[in-house]
This record gives sequence, C-alpha cells and structure tokens, in this order.
Amino acid sequence: MTTTIVTRFLRRTVAGLSIAAALTLLGSATAYAAPVWERFEPVKALLDGATPRTNGIGLDIPLVSEDGSSVPLTVTADSRMRDDDYIEEIHLFATRNPNPEIASFRLTPHTGLARIATRIRLNETQEVIAVARTNSGEYLVSSREARVTVNGCLTRADTYDADNIMNARYRVPNELARGEIGEVLTMINHPMETGLREGADGEIIPRRLINRFTATLDDRTVLEARFNTSISANPYLRFHVRPEEAGTLTLAWEDETGAATQEKAPLQVR
Amino acid sequence: MKQGNITRRELLKFLGAAGAVSAAGSLGIAGCSRNGAPAGRVIVIGGGFGGATAAKYIKLFNPDIQVALIEPAERFYTCPFSNLYLGGLRDMQLIGHGYEELKQRYQVEVIHTLAEDVDGSAKTVRLADGRVLGYDKLVLSPGIDIRWDALEGYDQAAAEIAPHAWKAGPQTKLLRDRLEAMEDGGTFILSAPANPFRCPPGPYERVSLIAHYFKQHKPKSKILLLDAKDAFSKQGLFMEGWKAVYGDMIEWVGLSDDGRVVRVDAQAGEVETEFGTLHKADAMNIVPPQKAGFIAVRAGVIDTTGWAPVKPQTFESKMVSDIYVVGDASVAAPMPKSGFCANNQAKVVAAAIVADLDGREPLEARWTNTCYSLISPDYGISVAGVYGVEDGHIVETAGGLSPLGAPADFRQREARYAVNWYNAICQDTWGTSDLPLALG
Repeated sequence: MTTTIVTRFLRRTVAGLSIAAALTLLGSATAYAAPVWERFEPVKALLDGATPRTNGIGLDIPLVSEDGSSVPLTVTADSRMRDDDYIEEIHLFATRNPNPEIASFRLTPHTGLARIATRIRLNETQEVIAVARTNSGEYLVSSREARVTVNGCLTRADTYDADNIMNARYRVPNELARGEIGEVLTMINHPMETGLREGADGEIIPRRLINRFTATLDDRTVLEARFNTSISANPYLRFHVRPEEAGTLTLAWEDETGAATQEKAPLQVR
Repeated sequence: MKQGNITRRELLKFLGAAGAVSAAGSLGIAGCSRNGAPAGRVIVIGGGFGGATAAKYIKLFNPDIQVALIEPAERFYTCPFSNLYLGGLRDMQLIGHGYEELKQRYQVEVIHTLAEDVDGSAKTVRLADGRVLGYDKLVLSPGIDIRWDALEGYDQAAAEIAPHAWKAGPQTKLLRDRLEAMEDGGTFILSAPANPFRCPPGPYERVSLIAHYFKQHKPKSKILLLDAKDAFSKQGLFMEGWKAVYGDMIEWVGLSDDGRVVRVDAQAGEVETEFGTLHKADAMNIVPPQKAGFIAVRAGVIDTTGWAPVKPQTFESKMVSDIYVVGDASVAAPMPKSGFCANNQAKVVAAAIVADLDGREPLEARWTNTCYSLISPDYGISVAGVYGVEDGHIVETAGGLSPLGAPADFRQREARYAVNWYNAICQDTWGTSDLPLALG
C-alpha cells in the first residue's frame, strides 16, 4: 500500500514538472498575443477599420465575482464633455455571453461626465470590452478579464415577483450649482428575461427585456441607453447630469412588450 | 500519533527499510534534523481557525520545525456559533477556545501579543513588545478588518451603539445587550453587505436565531433585513425556514428593492438606503464591508480589492514569497470565507510549507467546506462543496445543498450535525474537547 503512494507521488511530480514547463511556454506566447478586442468580431465591426486609443478609458469590474447574475461594472472615459469635445457613444461587450452586446449608450455634453455604472450578467469567466466614440469620431477601447466563480454558498431563488414589474426608482441631487455635475441613480424592477432559460415547467420563458432608457432634462437629451440580454435583472444605471438651469429630469423606460414607465424628477439649480 | 492505520514512526521505519527515505518527505514526515537545529522557523500570525490549525499541522507533519503563533487574545471567540449566543442558546464561554493543546501537546510557542509589522524582504516580524522575530516561512491568518470608510456614518464610535458583531467577543455581547433591552413590538434591523464578506450565510442565520429569541420573549417584534445583494447563501432554504418557523416576523429586502444601506445614523437609530428610504430601528446590527486584517496590509500581500491574492496550490501570496495567507483574508473564491475553509486551507499550507522546507514539491491540493446554518434549535440546513485547482484557479468540483421541502426530522438531524460539526472543528483546531452536544 505504501509503495503505491510513493509511486503515485513520483508520477505526479513528473506530470507536475511537464505542466510547469508547458505553462512557461504558454506564458511567453500570450505575452505577444494581440488583445482580445482586436480579434472580436462585434468590436471589429464597430471600429470598421479605425485604430482606437487604449488610454483615456477605464473599465472597472471586480477581478472575481461570486454571482455572475449581477456583476457591477463602471466605465469611465476622460472627456471635458463640452459641445466641441465629448464622448458620444459607449458600447459594452461580454465576449463569451450568448449575446455579446451588453448595452450601448449615447451621451451628450449635458451628461457632464463620461461615466456609466450598471450591473451585468456574465455567463462565465471572460473578457469584457468597452468601446467609446468621441463626437469627432475617434475610438477608445478598454478590456478587462472578469472571473466568475460559482460560489457553492450562493444559490438564488429563480422566481420573480410579477407585481413589481416596471416599478421604477431614482435618486437625484437635492440641488446643484449651475454647471455642477450631479449623480443620477436609477433602477427599475424588471426580470430582463433573456429567452434563453427554462421555467420550472421545462418550457422556455419568453424573452422580455427593457430595451430602451432615456433621460432628458426638459427638451435636452442627457442619456440614451439600449439594453440587451446581458444587463442584469432590475436594470440599474448610475450616470451624471450637468444642468445649466433648473428643469425637470424625465426618466423613461420601455420594454419589448410595449410596457413603458416614466418618472419626473425636478432638478433644483441655484 | 495515528495517521491512517500505521503510526508515523512505523511508516518512517518502513520507508527507511525500503530505501525510499526521500519519499518520506513527500508524505510530510521528514526525519529528524542532523545537528538538532530546527528544520525551519515558521511564524503564524492569528490564532483563529486558519492560524491555530496551521501551527498544529506543521508540528504534526514535522515536529522539528520551530513554530511560533502570534495571537494577542488568550481566548479566541468563534464567529461560528456566536449566533447561538445571540439567540440565547449558548453561553459566551462555550464559543471561546484557548491554546493549551498547541503549547503542551504540539510545542508551539504561543506569544500573546500583537504583530505590528512584517518585513517581507528581511523576513522578520515586529511584535508590539518590541521584539523582532525572523522566519523562513510566515503564515498570515489575520481574518477581517472592518472598512470604516465604506459606509457613511458608520465608524468605531457608531459601532459602540449599533454593533457589527462580525468579530466575536465584546461586539457580540453588545448586540445581545441591545436585543435584551429592546421592547416587545420593536423593530430590529440587520444590514448585510455585498460580496465578498466573512461567512456568507452568517447574516441569515443571525436573523433566524434572533427571531427564535424574539418568538419566545418578544413575539410582537419585527426583523428587517436590508441587503446589498439580490441573492444570498442558501436563500431558498432560509426563506422556506423563516416562513415555516417564524411566519412573517422576518422581512428581507434585497438590492433590487432598495435594500442597500448607504448611510447609518447610529444615534438616531436610523439607516438610509441607496434610493433614499429611511428605516427606523429599536436595535440595529450593521454588518459592514470588510477587508483583510491589517497585518496583511503591513506585509504587502493585499491588492486593490483589499484582500490577499494567493497561489491556489499552496496559498502562498502572489505578491510576497514565503508568506502564506489563509482564511478570510485570502482571495479563494469560490471557496467561501468560512472557518471550515480556513481550517482546510491551513492544512494545505502546512503540507506545502513542510514540503518546501524539505526541498520538495507540494502535494496536489483539495479542499472541502460545509456550512451548517440553524434556523432554530430544531431546524438545520447546510451547503457543502469540494474544491480543487483547474487551469491555475480554484474551482468547485462537487457540492450540494439540503433539499427544499424536507420533513421536520431531516431538519432536526441537520441541526444536530451542526453541533457535531462545531465540536469536531474546535477539537481539531484548538483541542477543545468538552463541548456540549445539546442545543439550548
């Protein structure tokens, strides 16, 4: 019996060494590999031959997430966000999700700050990519690996409380100075059904997404968002607004069934 | 000392006779050093599940290694089963453990002082009493520190009014005092943090056992659990148990229903959630965001997350060599931050250190974890996981949960298993041997 243990140990050592050697080779290979976004079709299609900058944009995602159904993500691009120089679009991609397009955002100088925070779904460990486009057509790209572990201590109830659907919440600053940038928080109760999962009866639950969100300050667009299946249930958005004068911030959500809801938040400007 | 069916000495003799002395090391039982000098110097910082286990098992695997354990407290109070104390089911003294076995039986030098600093390049540890100790290998098992800057209004002073009780001891007693002082018909609020944090099922077991106490003594009271998550450990099982045992006493408000607390006013007994809802409480328990214990910061082993990344096979720090980080302070997901995991990780670290000091490769690592939670003294639930390393990452290779809808005798048996588990792991870690089998 003891002999078996010893032999097994020796065999393992030999295997271990060869794995170590293989890893060394692999390591040097990846060091020269092109970044993931260069090989990723949806990003290539978006760039359409343009060469993006990889600085001036940051993507913040936890290195390890214990719940892939709700991973916090923040994307920030350096920009003055003035009429002559602003970030006009931000696109997010999850390279290994069934639908890699997570969401797209259209920003304006009224957004004040090119920063969007939301919560996304990640099927598995993968590269997440953010692409931003300036008003002059320049592209910026950032990419981060997000590791997803299935925590054995985490199980989630697979039901959704239908009574609350389209129940929206928001939070805006009490008061802002003229031209001051304020944070807007929004969330709407919605299952964001992907059309990819089965219910308890074994039937596919039909797809139902909030697909459009807009924020307007009186008649000026602050933010437009399009969501796809990789936005977590109960879509959450944190963005900014820079009002030049007092007004009403209208927050509007629409889902694919035509259901819509609106919230009006007065913005005080001193 | 028995290991399987043959004693260590017998095995050594056998291996020696077979001319396979070098292989003896592979089993973590290297022979005596030639000149009586220690086979290595190991310092362990922190005497909880991770640290005490690491110290013990290094000595068990190779008694010739000199092991010092640095732990300020003479008794360590466990977070596991502190919820039983809060629920009035166990005395505080029954969750406290000493270091006699480590000192007497395993010849670990236990130094009851604080480790203030680590110099990873000089390989020294500075103690609060001014002493500087050198090491060949350092094991950090510092547990958690509270991130006092993470939640508006929640600082050390606020924690004296609205305790976190997430490190067992005086804070736990304070929370019990608050619960006892509360009038029948009052509202108790627990605020639970986002992942990762110590003991994922902890907040949910806590409200369960507080509900048990309320049901007996303050049955008109309410419990509001405000959560920064939409999903939590053993959620379906907890929800089922709460309803079955406590009716509607416990209300859980998740992230998507504005459950995330962003501001605490301990004086006013009030919390504010992300979208501006104010909640009043007669007693509060704020479980705040956490980070690795401060000595891990001093040692330079934490990254921007506030936790310590480790090499999965050995739990050696990815940032500083010859420092190993076990337990809650390490990044070991999908393993949860649990006492059971810390105990398991410490055994892997002990084997890796003993092997390395003997010039050998570590054995392949495997871990297990079981989290029992009590919904009442007669109602236990559990989750279990088995973990290994694949492609350089820790993965769960097997696991499972208690079934939903199980009969009462099943839940009752699991409650008994929970007590057996606690008694067994405390015996393994600190040698505590006289713990009661009864609950309540």
